[in-house]
Amino acid sequence: MRLLAAEFRKLTYQRAMWGLLTAAVLFSALGTAATAVIFDQSSDGLGFGTLEDQVVVDSVYANAISGYIFAVLVGVLIVAGEFRHGTAVATYVAAPRRGQVFLAKLIASLVAGVVLMIVSTAGGIAGGMIALEFYPEAADPSVDIFVNTSLAAIVSGAVLGVLGASIAALIRSQIISLIGVLIWLFAIEPILLLLFPDQGKFFLQGLITAIMALDVESEQFNLNTADFADPLSATLLLLGYALVFAVLSMIVSIRRDVE
Amino acid sequence: MIAIAFRGLTKTYGKVPAVDNFTAEVQAGRVTGFLGPNGAGKSTALRCLVGLSRPTKGRTRILGKRYPQLKNPLHHVGAVLDSRGFHPGLTGYQNLRVLASVGGLPGSRVDEVLAQVELTEARDKRVKGYSLGMKQRLSLAAALLGDPDVLILDEPANGLDPAGIAWLRGFIATQAQAGKTVLVSSHQLAELENVVDDVIIINKGKLVASGSLHDVTGDQTLEQAFLRLTGGAQ
Repeated sequence: MRLLAAEFRKLTYQRAMWGLLTAAVLFSALGTAATAVIFDQSSDGLGFGTLEDQVVVDSVYANAISGYIFAVLVGVLIVAGEFRHGTAVATYVAAPRRGQVFLAKLIASLVAGVVLMIVSTAGGIAGGMIALEFYPEAADPSVDIFVNTSLAAIVSGAVLGVLGASIAALIRSQIISLIGVLIWLFAIEPILLLLFPDQGKFFLQGLITAIMALDVESEQFNLNTADFADPLSATLLLLGYALVFAVLSMIVSIRRDVE
Repeated sequence: MIAIAFRGLTKTYGKVPAVDNFTAEVQAGRVTGFLGPNGAGKSTALRCLVGLSRPTKGRTRILGKRYPQLKNPLHHVGAVLDSRGFHPGLTGYQNLRVLASVGGLPGSRVDEVLAQVELTEARDKRVKGYSLGMKQRLSLAAALLGDPDVLILDEPANGLDPAGIAWLRGFIATQAQAGKTVLVSSHQLAELENVVDDVIIINKGKLVASGSLHDVTGDQTLEQAFLRLTGGAQ
């Protein structure tokens, strides 16, 4: 508990963490608002339909979870920041049982990721509501989308927080870890999902989308979410990814010298 | 009574031995200088001692136990190993408060140690605005948090100006008077000579001398003895 208390104290002291939370809220809010505008401006909603369709309005709200990129960044900073600033030495001298220290970091990353996602998703939903107020023709959203988006936010926050911390423990370099996860999430995964949807749907973004149980199809984007995994399988697979990376990084953290 | 023991400690990086079958002891309640040229293996030995590096062979003990076996080590051992070891965006108080949390210590203890190292006025200043000397003092404050019996100080005089070095000398003397065990590595041999009871000299990873200051130096100064023993005078 002391280690956890120290981790949460460190989190709340760091301005960068508050900056990431603010950025996540703005990113999500602007993301949903912009999606509503883009769907309205595009005559056929980019192949998805129009705002008069409930599934399209649901898609707008589904974008409220787009802040998950910041959850993975928080995880990276919690672990890699220790090596970047050299505070790992003081931490491990004060608490030499590395397994316990790293477990505390994983839990802190998980909790921070969930909190960030709950707050940013709420901001995203609010952004969508405000934007859709300007389109009286827009359909009412389904109740399910709010439930599923909230679940996806919690699961993705937990999983990506842990993945970020794990990746940082394996790589150690904050810059390389940050650049690596950004390239993976913004470039490699979208390309895989576009070019190889049958395989791409089993990566992070495909699985997070699957939790929301949206039924959208777009030929332009080679996307049909009906083919995605069911929400329970997607959740379990995401948790499995997090568990595998957590165990791997735990083993490495215990065995490797602290430089 | 032995406070710190290195027993056949060997640490290799690849095939290069940084510390090679190093055996030495530090007596409780005494100030021991840990000396050696750059790259002699001092820092590596100290990192093995506090569990940051895993020995390739041999073992280390503090107060009779492996460091990770010490219950709440902040209360037994204070270590200064890296003056860079503070988050620059946090204040001096916040950095120490995080460490105090690990040891279950209250915030009031942080203020006490900040006062001990004369950093009370800089308490709420971000560490990125600290001078090197202030960072060294903050490291010493961190080491004092749990009021430990053993202090391990790796190059605490690095980057200090003459006033800072004089302050450090007083700090070590105060700790010695309080009966603490101090193991201090430094290149400030003339300064060290005034405060140490014993010395351990290491060169190329191997022990070259250990004992009381007088036994090791004889009629020479510490600097002369050091140069003679490490071949630096050639």
